[in-house]
Amino acid sequence: MRLTKRASMPQPSARPHAPGIGISRRQFLKRGSMAGGGLAGLGLLGTPMMRRAEAAERTPYSEAEVETKRTVCSHCSVGCGVYAEVQEGVWTRQEPAFDHPFNRGAHCAKGASLREHGHSTRRLKYPMKLVDGEWQRLSWEEAIDEIGSRVLELTEQHGPDSIYWLGSAKFSNEQAYLMRKFAALAGTNNTDHQARICHSTTVAGVANTWGYGAMTNSLNDLQNSRSIMFIGSNPSEAHPVAMQHILLAKERSQAEIIVVDPRFTRTAAKADHYVRIRPGSDVAFIWGLLWHIFENHWEDTEFIQQRVYGMEEVRAEVANFSPSEVERITGIPEDVMYSTAEILAKNRPGCVVWCMGGTQHTTGNNNTRAYCILELALGNLGVSGGGTNIFRGHDNVQGATDLGLTSDSLPGYYGLEEGAWRHWAKVWDLDYEWLKERFDQTEYADGFPMNSNGITVSRWVDGVLEDDTDISQRTNLKAMFYWGHAVNSQTRGPEMQKAMQALEMMVIVDPYPTVAAVMHGRSDGVYLLPAATQFETYGSVTATNRSLQWRDRVIEPMYESKPDHVIMYLMAKRLGFAEQLFKNIQVNGDEPLIEDITREFNRGMWTVGYTGQSPERLKAHQQNWHTFSFRSLKAEGGPADGDYYGLPWPCWGTPEFAHPGTTNLYDTSLPVSQGGLTFRARFGIERDGVSLLADGSFSKDSDLEDGYPEFTADMLKDLGWWDELTEEEKSAADGKNWKTDLSGGIQRVAIAHECAPFGNAKARCNVWTFPDPIPKHREPLYTSRRDLVEDYPTWNDVASHFRLPTLYKSIQQKDVTERYPIILTSGRLVEYEGGGEETRSMSWLAELQQEMFVEINPALANDIGVKNGAMVWVEGAEGGRVKVKAMVTPRVARGVVFMPFHFGGMFQGESLEQRYPEGSSPYVIGEAANTATTYGYDSVTQMQETKCTLCRIEPA
Amino acid sequence: MAQMKFMCDAERCIECNGCVTACKNANETEWGIQRRRVVTLNDGEPTEVSISVACMHCDDAPCMAVCPTDCFYKTDDGIVLHDKDLCIGCGYCLYACPFGAPQFPQQGAFGERGKMDKCTFCAGGPADNPEEEYMKYGANRIREGKLPLCAEMCSTKALLAGDAQTIADIFRERVVRRGHKDGAWSKLGDAPSAIDNMASDATRKP
Amino acid sequence: MRSINQTWPLQHSRQQPWLLRILQSLLPLLLLFVALGLSHVATAADPDAEINGAVPAMDADTWRQVKSGENFIDSRHDSTYNLINPSGQTWRLIRNKWISPFGLIAIGGMLAMITLFYLIVGKNQLEEPRSGRKILRWSALNRALHWSVATLFILLALTGLNLLYGKFLFKPLFGDAFWASMISGSKLLHNYLGPLFGILLVIILMRFLKHNWPKREDFEWLRKGGGMVGKGHPDAGFANAGEKIWFWLLATAGIVVIASGLVMDFPNYQQTRDTMQWANIIHAIGALGLTAVALGHIYIGTLGTEGALEGMATGYVDESWAKQHHNLWYEEVKDQAVDGERLETSKGHADSKHDNPGPDPARPT
Repeated sequence: MRLTKRASMPQPSARPHAPGIGISRRQFLKRGSMAGGGLAGLGLLGTPMMRRAEAAERTPYSEAEVETKRTVCSHCSVGCGVYAEVQEGVWTRQEPAFDHPFNRGAHCAKGASLREHGHSTRRLKYPMKLVDGEWQRLSWEEAIDEIGSRVLELTEQHGPDSIYWLGSAKFSNEQAYLMRKFAALAGTNNTDHQARICHSTTVAGVANTWGYGAMTNSLNDLQNSRSIMFIGSNPSEAHPVAMQHILLAKERSQAEIIVVDPRFTRTAAKADHYVRIRPGSDVAFIWGLLWHIFENHWEDTEFIQQRVYGMEEVRAEVANFSPSEVERITGIPEDVMYSTAEILAKNRPGCVVWCMGGTQHTTGNNNTRAYCILELALGNLGVSGGGTNIFRGHDNVQGATDLGLTSDSLPGYYGLEEGAWRHWAKVWDLDYEWLKERFDQTEYADGFPMNSNGITVSRWVDGVLEDDTDISQRTNLKAMFYWGHAVNSQTRGPEMQKAMQALEMMVIVDPYPTVAAVMHGRSDGVYLLPAATQFETYGSVTATNRSLQWRDRVIEPMYESKPDHVIMYLMAKRLGFAEQLFKNIQVNGDEPLIEDITREFNRGMWTVGYTGQSPERLKAHQQNWHTFSFRSLKAEGGPADGDYYGLPWPCWGTPEFAHPGTTNLYDTSLPVSQGGLTFRARFGIERDGVSLLADGSFSKDSDLEDGYPEFTADMLKDLGWWDELTEEEKSAADGKNWKTDLSGGIQRVAIAHECAPFGNAKARCNVWTFPDPIPKHREPLYTSRRDLVEDYPTWNDVASHFRLPTLYKSIQQKDVTERYPIILTSGRLVEYEGGGEETRSMSWLAELQQEMFVEINPALANDIGVKNGAMVWVEGAEGGRVKVKAMVTPRVARGVVFMPFHFGGMFQGESLEQRYPEGSSPYVIGEAANTATTYGYDSVTQMQETKCTLCRIEPA
Repeated sequence: MAQMKFMCDAERCIECNGCVTACKNANETEWGIQRRRVVTLNDGEPTEVSISVACMHCDDAPCMAVCPTDCFYKTDDGIVLHDKDLCIGCGYCLYACPFGAPQFPQQGAFGERGKMDKCTFCAGGPADNPEEEYMKYGANRIREGKLPLCAEMCSTKALLAGDAQTIADIFRERVVRRGHKDGAWSKLGDAPSAIDNMASDATRKP
Repeated sequence: MRSINQTWPLQHSRQQPWLLRILQSLLPLLLLFVALGLSHVATAADPDAEINGAVPAMDADTWRQVKSGENFIDSRHDSTYNLINPSGQTWRLIRNKWISPFGLIAIGGMLAMITLFYLIVGKNQLEEPRSGRKILRWSALNRALHWSVATLFILLALTGLNLLYGKFLFKPLFGDAFWASMISGSKLLHNYLGPLFGILLVIILMRFLKHNWPKREDFEWLRKGGGMVGKGHPDAGFANAGEKIWFWLLATAGIVVIASGLVMDFPNYQQTRDTMQWANIIHAIGALGLTAVALGHIYIGTLGTEGALEGMATGYVDESWAKQHHNLWYEEVKDQAVDGERLETSKGHADSKHDNPGPDPARPT
C-alpha cells in the first residue's frame, strides 16, 4: 500500500525533507524548509549533530529492577496481550505475550510499536485555550472552571441538549460507562461515540435478527471454520493478528477463504477466491448467493424450521434476484456467484466476516441483516466455526457500545424508555424524579428529550447547523466536547468546518490535539484538555469477541495529562453533580476508583450479561493468560478452570454465580451454564398468529424442551420454580424480569434449569420495525448507476430521525454523474488507526506511511491523464476537495478509487501544521479522505456513508 | 552450535509491518533506518506476495568479504555482527549485500553516511558494557535466551527465527499440512499439544 | 632552494637499497594475502541459497521477478532497493577476485620493472656537462600546481590502497584501535581530498593542454623509445611523447577516475546501488592503473633522469638538459637562458619578469 514504487518520489510540500534515505527523526522535524540542501550541510554537519539528538531520544538504558505489567493493545478490537516492562517509571521494553490466548505474542505494526506510547513527544502536554488565534497554556483549575462555567451558562440559556458530550471507543469500559452516566446526569442524550460510525448498523441489524448485536464467535474459533467469507472486511490491514487464526483455518482445516470487496485487498491476496463487487450492492450479492442456495436446495431446512422466522419472505424477495439481475447490479457473473454459493454450502461450518465495508452505508442495516440471513439459511449459527464474525474497530468499541455510550440507549441496551431510566436510577441509587428533572421537560417531534434518541455523532454537524425549528430539541448544538474523537473520520469536511465555526465552544479532551483542534478556522473558544492514554490508567476493555480483559496501568500519566475518569470527576464537580455521579463510587483525591465503577455496572447490566465480570475475576484471568486454550479459549485447570477467557458476555448472574461466559453465541450443543445459548426471545412470542419461539430446538440439558419466552418473575411462578429463589432474591425479583431483577435470582434459577434467561426464540429474517422489514437492495444516494435508481430507489426523506431531518430521495434524485463519474470508497492502512492522530504521532509508525494517496486503476489513470506519483485533486460530489498523490494500481477497479481515511492536518490543499500547539503536530500530515465524502445516513442508526460516493479526479 | 537464521513464510506474510516496528521497538533505530523491511511484489495484483527481509546472516557474508575495515565478524551462532567503532561508512557492504540489509543514517556529501546499521539478530554487538552495546546496536535478546523481536512478534507467525534446522523443520511441517486436503491435520488429532505446536510454531523454545 | 637542489638526489641514492629491501620483502607477503583473498572467494557466497532458505515458500516465477527487481514496493519509504541485489554478487566477485589481485600485480609488477630497469640500465645521465646556464621551464604557479596534484595523488593512492588492501596488513599488524583511526582517516582523506584533486587536476590539465597536442616528432620519439633505442636523441618539444602520454592518460582515465569517484563520494543524489557498484569498479581499475603508471612517471622524473627533478623543484633546467631532452623547445627559448649564478641573486626579479618562459601556455603565441 506504499506509494513509493521503484523510483523515489519527491516529498509532499507539507513535509519537505532532505534528500537521501536516512535522516533522523529530529532532523526530519527540524530541517523543515531545507529540502534539497544536501551537499555540505548534510555531509559535514550531519553526523555529530545527529548522534546527539539520537542519544537524547533513545529510551535510556537502565539496570533498575524490572516491573512487568500486563496490558492490552489499544489499537484495535482484537485485544492482543502485551507484557510491558517498566523500569523506574519508564516503559523500557515490550515483550511478546506468548501465553496470551488471542495473539500468542503476535502483533501488527501498531501493536509492535505500542511502547512508543510511553515516549511520544507529540502529545498534548497541558490544558490550553485558543485566544486570538494563539494557544495559551492554562492550569487544570482554570480550564475546568472556565469550561464548566460556560457549560452551566449554555445549559441555563439553551437547555442541557445544547451541549454534546461526544465520548470515545478508546475509553475503558469503566470510563465509557461513567461518560454515559455523566451525560444522563447532565440531562441529555446527546452523547455518542465512534460505534455510531463503525458498527451501529451491525448492532442494530444483528441484534434485531437474533438478540445480540455482537460477534457471535471468537477469533480463535475461526480456526474451526471450513469456509470464511470476508465482505467489506480487510483483516490483513485492520485486524492483522486475526489473520493468524484465519491462516491457521486455511492451513489446518483447509478452510476456503473468500474475499468479497471492491478492492483486491491484502486479505484477498491470501484468499482462495476473490470476488470484486460494486460498492453498495451487498444485499443484491447476498440475495444472489441465496438464489443459488435455494435453487440447489443447499439451505439447512431443519435449522430454518426450528430456529428461523420469516425465511419464506426472504425466499420471495430472493426470487427477484436472478443471476442476470445480480450481475447487472453487482457486476459479478453467474458462474462466480454459483461457485461462491457452492463453496459456502459445501464447506460448513462457515462464517461471514464483515466490517466497515458492509456497515458504513445508507443501507447498512439492510446489509448486516442480509449477511445474517445468509448464515441462517446455511444453518451456520450457533456452531463452532460458524456465525457472523463482526470484527469491531477500536479496542473498546464493543465495550463502549455495550455500556451505552450512545445517544439511543442507557448502558446494556436498555433503551431510553421510562422503565430503562427507572432501572438505572435504581442501580445508581438515585431518585428517578430528580434524574428526570435534569432534562428539558418540553415535548418535541421525537418526544421528550429524556426518552428520545439524542443526536448521533455522525450528525453533530447538522445538529449545529440545522435551524432550531427543524430540530427535535430546544435549540441546535452550542458546545461540543470531543472527548477522544477524530473528526476526520467523519464525512463532509467542509460542512464540519462551518459547524465548528458556528459553535460557541469546542472542548477537545484527548492525548493528542487531534484534527478538531486545527481545522475549525476559529480564533477563540477552543479548549484542549490533555487526557491520559489507556496505558496511563487501568480498567477493563472488551475485545471484539466480547471478552473483557483487564489492563494494568503501565506508566503514570505523561506531562500534565489526566485519565478520562479523573477529568469527568473534575467536570462533574464543577457542574455540581459529582456527589450523585459517584454516589457509590469511592473517589480517592480526584480519581474515582475504577473497580467500584466495574462493580456498579456489574449490578445493572443484566441484559447482556456484564454482571459476572467482577474486577476480581477479570484480574484472575489477566494473571493466568497461559491457562486458556488458544483454540477454545477455555481455561484448562488453574484458578479460572472452565472459564472462557475474559468471560465473554453474556456472563450470566452475579460474579458469585461463576458463569464461565459464552464464547459462541446461540450454541445449543452446550448447556447454558457452560456457555450454551438459544436465540433470544426479544420480539414477542408471536406475530400474525405465527409463533416466534423456537420449534423443537433448545440448549443442551434444558428443562424446557421447546421455545419459551424471556424469564420473568411470573413465569418462574407459573413453572413452579419460584421457590428456588432465596427469600432475599424473591423480594428483589418480584414483579421483575431477568433484565431488571437486581438480585440476579431469576437468571440463576433459569440457568439452574439450563434455560436461557432471555428465552428461546427463532431468529427473525423479517424485522418489521425497520424501514425495510426484509432487506432490500437500494442504490446509494450518490450512485453512478442511474439506470438502477428507478428499480432500486432509496427511501423518502424523513422529517425527524434522531432529532434531525434526514434526506434520502431528494439527494438521490439529483444526477451528478456527469461531473462526478467515479465511485469513491475508503478504508484502512495497517500502520494507522482511525483518524490517525495518535498513530501518526508515533515515529515508528509514521515513518512507514508518509503520504496520503488515492488508489486509481491504471486504465482510469490513463483516461484522466494521471501518472503514478502525480498530485491530483479528488473532488467529492458535494464539492469537498483533497489534494493527494495518485497511486496507480490494479487493486481497484476501473470505475472505483480508494483513499485511506487516517490522514489529517491538511484541508483542501492547505497545511494546518502551524495551527497545532507548538511541538504537538503529528510526524505525518495529509488530506483527510472525508473532506471529500458526502451526505448519506443509515435509515435505522444514522450510520454515515463513507464507502460509496462519487467524485472526480483532476491532475493538480 | 546452532546456526541462527530467519525464515519468512511468504504464504503467511500479510505485510502488516509488525516485524518492522517490532525491530524499531527493540533497537530504537532512528527515523529512516529499518533494519527489517517488507517487500511486496505485484502489489494489488492476484500474484501479490510479501516477504519480510533483513540481514540474512549469510554463511558466506558478502559484506564481510568486501569490508575495507574488516569490521564484520560471525558469532558462534552464525550471526553476522559488525563493529561500529571500526565502520567508516564507506558503503561497500551495501553495494555487496544481496538483500539491502546495511543502511546508513545519512547519505551525505563526501560519502558521509555515518556508521552502518543493520540487523543484529537482536544480538547486540561489540561493546565494553551492556549500556554501550544497547546505545550502539540496540537490544541483545540472544544473551537473555530470547530470539529477535521481529520474529517473536510476527502477526501470523510467518517470520521465524532460530536455528536453521529447527525452523526448516517447522516449515516442512506446515508444507505437509498445506499439501493435504483434509489430510494431515486430522491425523494429528485435536490434542492441544499438537495444535499448539502448529499455532505457535515455536519461534522461541520454552 | 639550494638545499633541495643538492640533497634530493643524495637522499634518493642513499635510500635505494632500503627501498628495494622493503619491496622485496613486501611483495611476497602481499601476494600471499591476495592468494588468501582468492581462496576465500573460491568458496563463493550464495545469496540464492540464502534466500531459498530464508523464503522457502517462493516459487520459481516469483524468484525470477525478485531478481529482476520489477514491480515491487517496500516498507522503507524511499527505498529503491529490490529484494535481491544480483549485481552485488557480481561486484563482489569483480572486486575481490579480479581487481584486488590484479591491482596488486600491476603495481607490484611496475615496481619490480622499475627496480630491474634501474639496476640494469641505471640513471639517464646528462650527455653533456652542465652549462651552468639555466632556462625557466616551470613557473612557480605551475610548480605549485604540480606538487599539489602530485601530493594529492600520492595521498589518494596510499589511502586508496589502504582501503583495498590495508585490512590484510595493518589490521593484524597494529591492532583494532590503531587500525580504526588509520582506516577512518584514510576514508576521510580520500573522500575530502578526492574532489580537491579533481579540481586541481582539471586546472593543471587545462594549463598544460597547449604543450601536449600530439605532433609529428612524437611518433619518432616513441619509435626510438625516448632515446633508448637506436642512436641519437629523438626530437622533442616542450613536452616529449612520454609526457604527452601521461598527460592524456590523466586527461582521460584520470577524469574517469575522478568522475566515478564523485559518483561514490556524493551518494546524496539518489544514484542507485548499481550505479555506485559500477563506479567503484571503474574507479578501482582506473586508479590502480594510474598509480602503476605514476610510479613510472615518478621514477623518470626523479631517479631515472638526471636533472629532471631539478626542473620541477626550482623551475629552471640546465641548458644541457634542455638540449638533450627537449631540443625543439630549447631552440625556441635558448636566448632566454640566464646564468645560474646571477639567477640566484636576481631570482625574484627574474621570476616576475619571466613568469612564463617559452611558448606561454596561458597566452596565445
